[in-house]
Amino acid sequence: MILKSLRMLLVPAALFTVALPASARPALVNGAGATFPYPIYSKWFAEYAKTDDKVNFNYQSIGSGGGIRQVTAGTVDFGATDGPMSDDQLKQAPGELIHFPTVLGGVVAVYNVPGVTGTLNLSQKALAGIFIGRVTKWNDAAIASANSGVSLPPNDIIVVHRSDGSGTTFIWTDFLSKASPEWSKQVGKGTSVNWPVGLGGKGNEGVTGLVKQTPHSIGYVELGYAQHNKIPFAKIENAAGEYVDCSQESVTKAAAAAVATMPADFRVSITNPAGSGVYPIASFTWLLVYRQQKEAVKGAALVRFLRWMLRDGQRFAGPLGYAPLPPEVISLEETAIEKINVPS
Amino acid sequence: MRARPYALRKATNAVALGLTGAAAALTLGILFAILAYIAANGASALNWDFFTKLPAPVGETGGGLANAIVGTLKLLLLASAIGIPVGFLGGVYLAEFGHGRTGFVVRYASDVLNGVPSIVIGIVAYTLIVLPMKQFSSLAGGVALGIIMIPTVVRSTEELLKLVPSNVREAALALGVNEWKTVLFVVIPTALRGVLAGVLLSLARVAGETAPLLFTALSNRYWSHGWLEPTASLPVMVYTYAIAPYDDWHRQAWAGALVLITMVLGVNILARLGVSRRASAS
Repeated sequence: MILKSLRMLLVPAALFTVALPASARPALVNGAGATFPYPIYSKWFAEYAKTDDKVNFNYQSIGSGGGIRQVTAGTVDFGATDGPMSDDQLKQAPGELIHFPTVLGGVVAVYNVPGVTGTLNLSQKALAGIFIGRVTKWNDAAIASANSGVSLPPNDIIVVHRSDGSGTTFIWTDFLSKASPEWSKQVGKGTSVNWPVGLGGKGNEGVTGLVKQTPHSIGYVELGYAQHNKIPFAKIENAAGEYVDCSQESVTKAAAAAVATMPADFRVSITNPAGSGVYPIASFTWLLVYRQQKEAVKGAALVRFLRWMLRDGQRFAGPLGYAPLPPEVISLEETAIEKINVPS
Repeated sequence: MRARPYALRKATNAVALGLTGAAAALTLGILFAILAYIAANGASALNWDFFTKLPAPVGETGGGLANAIVGTLKLLLLASAIGIPVGFLGGVYLAEFGHGRTGFVVRYASDVLNGVPSIVIGIVAYTLIVLPMKQFSSLAGGVALGIIMIPTVVRSTEELLKLVPSNVREAALALGVNEWKTVLFVVIPTALRGVLAGVLLSLARVAGETAPLLFTALSNRYWSHGWLEPTASLPVMVYTYAIAPYDDWHRQAWAGALVLITMVLGVNILARLGVSRRASAS
């Protein structure tokens, strides 16, 4: 009786699995990590699958911290992160991991201030002050001085930050640490920090939702999330003292400043660089790939994908809110791909 | 002692009745509100593609969750293969032979296991299966769900076998049937319908588990072949889609929730029907 009923329930499942031909199916390469570049990775893997029927890439966005952990444990074939791995983390990995920058993205300060329709200008001092809890009113002089002509309300500022470990938080706090010695000393940078003030939201989506629903709030999200949800975001003061909008162009300029000093392992921070027209809160995002690949089929597929991503994949970046890599970085990476060892 | 005035007693009665009634109505109301809300939001995204296609990449509308539906069925198959035999035999042991100290320990352990948060079971499966095999897999997800099933099956089997009147057992023994034959051919068949209902309920319980699957079965945008590849499942896909910033994914998350809750509700109703028919037969 039990067996019979179970069979009725489960035979369809068995049929489904058997019905798919086992011979000609593509290899499955598994990866996991950052949520920040998930939209572009998802697009890439779908586009790449059209040109290469020997492989399917399965990418799961579990967060940068998770990506580093799982690639270190060897449970996925590649990882992805928005904050480069630290020397300690690299030492814990069983083999040499290479960071491959894939695209650039900007993190924006989104706000919800009733009555303010235009774009606000936020100085580095004001931004650090808000997130450290010293600038508490929207009409504080630190904000008002850069926004003449805008009538700012006297309400309290509600700060929204991430509650989970996040590469977006790393980029944000990395910038604040460079912008404010006080922040650097009291809070510092990391994928999750001890926030002096504010409410926590889970994921870019959680922060977006909280800011949208909470009048007089300010938070930080990846550019695509702000654009998609049509939330205003501020122009941020850069190292040259200009107030710059986050765009593909201004993010690309941030990378250009780092090209000359790009280290061989690509682990570089490009927040708050010198230069004109530069948006100061931007970052590369990286794929983490083992230099010594274990399996011929999967390793070769990864190499093929990396080449495609650098040559053909970059054109998908713009429409999804990312900036493509500078040509100099692409050629450096093409050299780095040669280092990957694939067993034959 | 002075009797309270009649009016006061009547008022107390009315208040108490009102409160219990309100609580009952609230319980029902919440259930139906959830069902109606999910149905209203999910129905529009339900179409043939939803059941037959793979997920579409970000930014493209359409696609479906066929791999997640099959993935959930596969995970439940494996969970049943582990949870039902172990749970059923454990329940038989407790009801028929577990009267001493060992029985107490087993019963207690099973209750504790039932209280362990499912995410902890997920960590166990991750540590014992995913890490050594260096592979997220349906196997690991199914084992995690199977472990979660065991205590519910154990306890429901035990309770239902205990409901079999002892004179039925005594009658068999009096006719010279030995103990194991009594259990196998008399007690178990008598309680079978109820036991099956208990199994179905435990299956419905694990069908909606998300936490233990996140780092065992992970997820998969494609079909999962065999048991050693990551697999998509409905709860994890609903979770992933619901927190993404894309409207089309939100619609599919609702549709996924609708399919999942229909499955669970269907199994629940099937189980109830089984129990009620058993009750009327005996």
